[in-house]
Amino acid sequence: MGKEYVVTLCEGPSCIHKGSRRLRQLLEKKLEKHGIAGKVRTFLSGCLGMCAKGPIMVINPGYVIYGGVTVDDVDEIVEQHLIKDNPVARLTVKESHLYNRFFRVFGDAKFFGKQMRIALRNCGIIDPESIEDYLSLRGYEALAKVLTDMTPEDVIEELKKSGLRGRGGAGFPTGLKWQFTRAAESDEKYVICNADEGDPGAFMDRSAIEGDPHTVIEGMAIGAYAIGANKGYMYIRAEYPLAIERIQKAIDDAKKHGILGDNILGSDFSFDVEIKLGAGAFVCGEETALIHSIEGYRGMPRPRPPYPSVKGLFDKPTLINNVETWANIPVVIIDGGDWFSKVGVGKSNGTKVFAVAGRIVNTGLVEVPMGTTLREIIYDICGGIPGNKKFKAVQTGGPSGGCLPEDFLDTSIDYESLAEVGSIMGSGGMIVIDEDSCMVQMAEFFLEFTQSESCGKCTPCREGTKRMLEILTRISKGKGQDGDIEKLERLGHMIQKASLCGLGQSAPNPVLSTLKNFRDEYKEHIYNSKCRAGQCKAMLSYLITDNCIGCGACLRACPVDAITGNKKEKHLINQDICIKCGKCYEVCKFDAVAKS
Amino acid sequence: MVTPLDIIKKKRAEAVSRIIGKGYLSTKRVYVGMATCEIAAGSDEVMRVFRDAISKGGLTDVYLSQKGCVGRCNLEPTVEIIESGKNPVRYGLITPEKAQDIIDRHLKKGEVITEWVID
Ligand SMILES: Cc1cc2nc3c(=O)[nH]c(=O)nc-3n(C[C@H](O)[C@H](O)[C@H](O)COP(=O)(O)O)c2cc1C
Repeated sequence: MGKEYVVTLCEGPSCIHKGSRRLRQLLEKKLEKHGIAGKVRTFLSGCLGMCAKGPIMVINPGYVIYGGVTVDDVDEIVEQHLIKDNPVARLTVKESHLYNRFFRVFGDAKFFGKQMRIALRNCGIIDPESIEDYLSLRGYEALAKVLTDMTPEDVIEELKKSGLRGRGGAGFPTGLKWQFTRAAESDEKYVICNADEGDPGAFMDRSAIEGDPHTVIEGMAIGAYAIGANKGYMYIRAEYPLAIERIQKAIDDAKKHGILGDNILGSDFSFDVEIKLGAGAFVCGEETALIHSIEGYRGMPRPRPPYPSVKGLFDKPTLINNVETWANIPVVIIDGGDWFSKVGVGKSNGTKVFAVAGRIVNTGLVEVPMGTTLREIIYDICGGIPGNKKFKAVQTGGPSGGCLPEDFLDTSIDYESLAEVGSIMGSGGMIVIDEDSCMVQMAEFFLEFTQSESCGKCTPCREGTKRMLEILTRISKGKGQDGDIEKLERLGHMIQKASLCGLGQSAPNPVLSTLKNFRDEYKEHIYNSKCRAGQCKAMLSYLITDNCIGCGACLRACPVDAITGNKKEKHLINQDICIKCGKCYEVCKFDAVAKS
Repeated sequence: MVTPLDIIKKKRAEAVSRIIGKGYLSTKRVYVGMATCEIAAGSDEVMRVFRDAISKGGLTDVYLSQKGCVGRCNLEPTVEIIESGKNPVRYGLITPEKAQDIIDRHLKKGEVITEWVID
């Protein structure tokens, strides 16, 4: 009698408006009154996407969804359902959106409650190597539906209605891209899935493929039908062996079921997917470079236009989308473009997956509705900064993105808002930085990456990033010069404007955004030889203070014999010999080694 | 005329019955994370403990499956236990030893080991 129920109340903007918070207060009071407050847990979630039927209350186990709940219903829910195990039939609503299933298993966990899993709806709840598991959760139904009663134009129309935009970085409207590729006339066309995922620290696409490979294939098949293609390529980096193995198995299994190959599911549509491996060059994620790489040439970009939708692979019209974009397609078809367009804010519909890493309690994959704020992800979902450290910045969009300080934590996550404050959505990397990190070094790290990944074809990117990196390195080595900041800005803007592809056009972003938001730190490095985070070794010196009791631990630990002193007397560090490795600081038990 | 939609619905029904045939309706279902990240954290060893327990007959009425990564990077390997009529239990940072404990205490005796639960 009376199970250990978990009651979830939707706390999306629409449900709050309809009174979900008052419901919760009342519910908690009643639970108290009936003496079951310890047994039944209440829990708040982000938008559950059922706004029309709000306020929404979900009760587990059983996954009973109540809609349009009012304060007058609370007594009945408590007494009938939570105490007597009789769900209240008149309030239940039937919802069968594709993402519901994930919520059922994970919805009551803090980390997942505020998330909404559309692209990753099956990741972590099905066996990715079993086509049966996928089929059982309405897998390939979207493809079948398209082949049964939608024309290619219908599909494109539905996609335009959904407002889905590319998740690979640029955020181009997917429906339009499909329309352009359909309109291009040719005897042959191709679709490509971009699974190159080159951003350091990003792993959304890998997880998506490893967790639910069939979704991506289904999306590609629908795309091929819509634009009139019969051949697809999955371009995936060779560093992802398990993802490759699973996508290959998925392709083979789909073929066995007649879901790929000739006359798919008895229709006159034929489509096949082939895997192409990338060797891990960042620039090969850029669509024109990627196409060159598939063709067997060196992966170098070319000017656009012509866009791949007109002249792409083997000079034929080509539709190229990112893994996450493809994973959204079956949902748009099954749940409808209208429904999809209601999730999110403004011109950014649906959800976005982020790989959250850095100085954060819960690192991991987070999929949230657009419009969620950076603060909600960092503090509510990921649990904030560990070790009582102070938040300093968050880098979104990886090496092509920008670094935002604390003042911007309430920025809504959508394409427009992020661009407005000088960062980008990018493909979904999110790195959290605390007070112990030096912003000059951060910028240097990202630029070092883009500089070494620059393909060398155009001069601004090849030479410009090199010169910028030299200046940054000089600053972090304590040899910064008056005028360096201005030089970095001039070079940065020039590289942004003059580079051939997105790599160069975005490479200066981490530098320019840190210059804008953390200018004082650059100045301190150049004019005061000071690194406030204590990370730039050249600006650091170790000193032994009067706390020293002469135990000799540091003297023994020093690898370059820079420390001298008699036993039981204060020791001394010879600054000319010291290499600032920090060993003495680590071994001292008496707090007698100071960093300055 | 048989449409693609008819065919896929039939395939779904067949898939469901095949999954049931593999024991899906067992009272307990155990899912072990097996993506690159999970395996790097040692989940294949954890998987082996469960597999051995089933194949050696020590564990019955349990449906064991692998799954992809849900995104709890810092708590991997993860294991979920779903029992009908109860809320799912999610365990994090599972080692082969802890997996054995989960078998002995949770799966055999129904005790939820709260210290390891992710919430
Ligand atoms: C340097 C560079 C690297 C890129 N890397 C990727 C990548 O790894 N994955 C990806 O999907 N898109 C990447 N892109 C974006 C692609 O060029 C292209 O815009 C995208 O694949 C289009 O798909 P979407 O509309 O679904 O986002 C990159 C772009 C640039 C300039």
